[in-house]
Amino acid sequence: MLLLTLLIVLLLVCATVLAVAWRWKRPDAAQPRVVLSGGGTGGHVNPALAIAEGLKAREPQTRFLYIGVKNKAESVIVNKAGYELRYVCSEGYPGINLSLGTVRFVLKLSLGIAQSIIILTRFAPKWIVATGGYVSAPVIMAAVLLKKLKIARVEVFLHEQNSIPGQLNTLMGKWVDKVLLTFPQTLTFFPNAAVVGYPIRHSIVPLHPEEARERLSFPIPEGRQIVFAFGGSQGARTINRAIVDALPFLLPHRDRLFIIHGSGLACSSGYNAADDTEGRIAKLLTPEQRGELGDFYYRQDYFHNIAEIYSISSLIVCRSGAGSLNEISRIGKPVLLVPKANLPGDHQVMNARAMRNAGAAQILFEDTVMENGGLLEHLDGQVLAEKILALLEDRPRMQEMAEKSRGFLKREAIERIVSEIYDDQRFTDGNGRVVPFRELLGNGRLLQMLSEAYAHLGTSFDPASVVEDLDDLAYYRHRAAGLLSHKSWQDRNLGVKLIGFTRYREKIPTLLQMLADRTPAGVLRRICGGDFEQVGFIRRNIVNALIVMDCYTPEVRKHLPVAMEDPYFEVRARACRAVAHFGDFFAGKDEWVDRLMERLGDGCFEVEIEAAKALGEIGTDWKAAKALLSMNESRYWQARNAALLGIKRMMERGVLDPSNELIAAVSSFILTSTDFRPHFQIKETYGALRKCSESLQGVSLRRQTAVGSNQVARKLK
Amino acid sequence: MIYELCRFLVPYSVSLSFFRLVNYITFRAIMSALTAVIFIFIFSRPFILFVHRHCLLDQVRETGVASVFDKKGTPTMGGVLIIGAVLISMVIWGDWRNPFLLCAMAGMIWFGLLGLWDDLSKVRQKSGDKGLSERAKLLLQGFFSLLFAWVCVGHFAPLGSALATKVYVPFYKFPLGDIGPLLYGSFIFLFVVFVSNAVNITDGLDGLAITPSIFVVAVLGVFAYVEGNRIYSAYLHFAFLRGAGELMIFGAAFVGAGLGFLWYNAYPAQIFMGDTGSLAIGGTMAVMCVLLKQEFLFPLLGGLFIAEALSSQIQDKIGVKWIGRRIFFRAPLHHNLQHKGIAETKVVIRLWIVSGILALISLATLKLR
Repeated sequence: MLLLTLLIVLLLVCATVLAVAWRWKRPDAAQPRVVLSGGGTGGHVNPALAIAEGLKAREPQTRFLYIGVKNKAESVIVNKAGYELRYVCSEGYPGINLSLGTVRFVLKLSLGIAQSIIILTRFAPKWIVATGGYVSAPVIMAAVLLKKLKIARVEVFLHEQNSIPGQLNTLMGKWVDKVLLTFPQTLTFFPNAAVVGYPIRHSIVPLHPEEARERLSFPIPEGRQIVFAFGGSQGARTINRAIVDALPFLLPHRDRLFIIHGSGLACSSGYNAADDTEGRIAKLLTPEQRGELGDFYYRQDYFHNIAEIYSISSLIVCRSGAGSLNEISRIGKPVLLVPKANLPGDHQVMNARAMRNAGAAQILFEDTVMENGGLLEHLDGQVLAEKILALLEDRPRMQEMAEKSRGFLKREAIERIVSEIYDDQRFTDGNGRVVPFRELLGNGRLLQMLSEAYAHLGTSFDPASVVEDLDDLAYYRHRAAGLLSHKSWQDRNLGVKLIGFTRYREKIPTLLQMLADRTPAGVLRRICGGDFEQVGFIRRNIVNALIVMDCYTPEVRKHLPVAMEDPYFEVRARACRAVAHFGDFFAGKDEWVDRLMERLGDGCFEVEIEAAKALGEIGTDWKAAKALLSMNESRYWQARNAALLGIKRMMERGVLDPSNELIAAVSSFILTSTDFRPHFQIKETYGALRKCSESLQGVSLRRQTAVGSNQVARKLK
Repeated sequence: MIYELCRFLVPYSVSLSFFRLVNYITFRAIMSALTAVIFIFIFSRPFILFVHRHCLLDQVRETGVASVFDKKGTPTMGGVLIIGAVLISMVIWGDWRNPFLLCAMAGMIWFGLLGLWDDLSKVRQKSGDKGLSERAKLLLQGFFSLLFAWVCVGHFAPLGSALATKVYVPFYKFPLGDIGPLLYGSFIFLFVVFVSNAVNITDGLDGLAITPSIFVVAVLGVFAYVEGNRIYSAYLHFAFLRGAGELMIFGAAFVGAGLGFLWYNAYPAQIFMGDTGSLAIGGTMAVMCVLLKQEFLFPLLGGLFIAEALSSQIQDKIGVKWIGRRIFFRAPLHHNLQHKGIAETKVVIRLWIVSGILALISLATLKLR
């Protein structure tokens, strides 16, 4: 009975598979069917629509089906463009680890794949054009699955918009038939790819400003310079808030300025772009200022005819997503970029850097701040306003930027893509050539480079000369500051170290606050010897960062005593070293000498050593010398050694007379030591020989050129 | 080999009855120790030259202790010598039908090969950190331990099934109880893995690992002799383990090899034992303890190794990785002492003294029961 049922089910499955496979053959001759997928943000949807326009221009009877995710950018944009739209389940890739997020991701993805299989078998497309993002993941996976099972005859294309692909796209790239790239340097990530550029919709073409102005749905007074600020289709909280914060600073110039603000479609529970912006305006501006806004500021969620807005703008402020940049480049406008940090491969920063290097853009980095216990990116309104005003003042510069901007775009992307899809070689010149490019450093590598340079150079160390690019340094600083508010202490610790080595002195107050922070750690950690939320290593590295930054402020002076009383010995030791480092400021001040003397009896020998050395730097009288002399019978030879060093230093500084009394006191030191440095005669001889040969080699090389190489070779034989 | 030959010759002629000496365990033990020492004396120089010529030199990890840097380029993998000496000595003097001996040899060789692999990959990658990965190492150690645990509690238990899963503690003459094969097996598993790694961590200064191991194995050899002897075991209230005496011969060979190795390894070292040696020694000690039912004596007997391993683990896993501070100045123990300003030679000798005292106390548990 069971066997029979199984047999029937098996037969049914086979029949379905055969039927589907047969059906798939059918549309070959008739109208081509294309599935478009990709989304989440307009940056993924618009290229898909642009490619659709290209395909439609080639064969007008082509049928399209768009597969997306509900309540994302595609649900607005695609409907407006008039394509058929279906929804599947999917979610952003959280990284593989054992968490609830991963489980939910896998479940949603599986469901999405099942939905996609049904949609695909019913639609039976000839081509699938995916534009990346997690939205297209289930569609691609379903298509690949159907292909592997020999059910579907479908070719899958993936268009990658960014210079550095995300993890999902990298994975998908291995399975699809061809990856279409925007930037040549991305070739290193995909074996099977062609560089085609970024497809831009036909509607995005430069318009004459007068014509564009007439088409607008809102009036703009004559003779104004127009600034268009937007954060992509979803909107960017940083930009939205910054532009509102900048309004009070821009208002005085309202006779020559007009701000257009695209606040974005985002309306999730975490952030509702429109409400948040309105609320902020109400909070920040006085009623009369709000009254003045009418002929100065215009806000809309999303501009379907963005080309008009671009065309009338003098300056554009936006995120550096590949889509926005390419659209702006098509129109040819100067742009002020606020890249989003910490994306996969830092691709927004890379894009922004590419455009800046082309001379078409300027970059502002956002800062990371704590707000209501949460971590927030933040761009100061005043900074933004000043930057905007400065740029608008400099008309020749703007003119130059606009021209450079026009040259930034790779033209004919759509034609190239269509030729790749039809595989008719109409455009082949996009292929090949891997362009090497300087990648941004990861945090670990950056730290290694900087700390090595610091160890080598000491106080003459300069992070800018190590990083070689001031904008990169600004970004690294920003990234380091972002680490400070992470949850795991390891990240915060890394942030502290990086802030020190990049010499981000503006963050000193934050560091000092963390140093004095006495929020206790979890109970379990405290039982095992932990103390505070800002763990010992962080506090130690903060003090170390102060030394590296070499910046003495009244705040630093206020906080050093806290560090010298810290429950963790390494912090106390490092604080004593910091006192020695800033010795010039403390020399002769009694309270500091007293503090150090207290540390001489610390009980932890590491602290005692540092305190004794520091005392040598700042002590000026017999009191300090006596304290050092009292260490003559200390248990640890390093402590006795440090005391002697301190006394020597005081004599060198000329504050201690080398009297007979002193010599007698010094001779009371126990000089036996439990440690010694071995020296190995043969290793030293070997080293001397190597050095000798190197110096002689220099001589012989010079002689070689004089006498002729033959002779030297003969001599050697 | 010689053992078998002699046993074979004795009945044939009165003039050959001299060879009956091999029936005495003490005689064979002394001979095997001598054989091992002589083997090492003969072969270490050629071995050091061989290692040097093939550039199998130690790749020092940067630990921040000044004198370590002077040691870069010292030939490593001296463990091969130790294992070779014990192996040859046992081939000559051992009774290869004895299950105790087989287990101990298997432990030594398996862990030795594992260490050899690790050493070679470190040399090949020219880095002290990029040896065999921690996980692979643990996996391979675990594999042997599992097998060994299975042998110990299963049908082939060298101890006999009556004793196999009983737990003995020092200072108490009766078994504490029978905890069943599963629990006891998993205990053996953890024990072997822990001990072998403990020796690996201890091996950081010239001569630091080898001398305490000699003490430990010597004491275990004495226990083996007592437990394998019907009269003494009855007198000292040990369970009689038939054939355990063979472990004394093994232990003696090890002590001989260790002394020979110390000859070259003493400060300043001409050769390091490398992971080959430290893992092999750890494996050997662990297996011997389990076979002689002295697992709970080990924390006392090998207290030094335990302290080294624990200090290292506490510092790393709890301190640096979790609560975010150093708990000791440095870890493991010997680096902490060095950091406090005690010279390497002094640290090594002090720790020898400590381990010698621990060995004496452990020996006292023979009678104090």
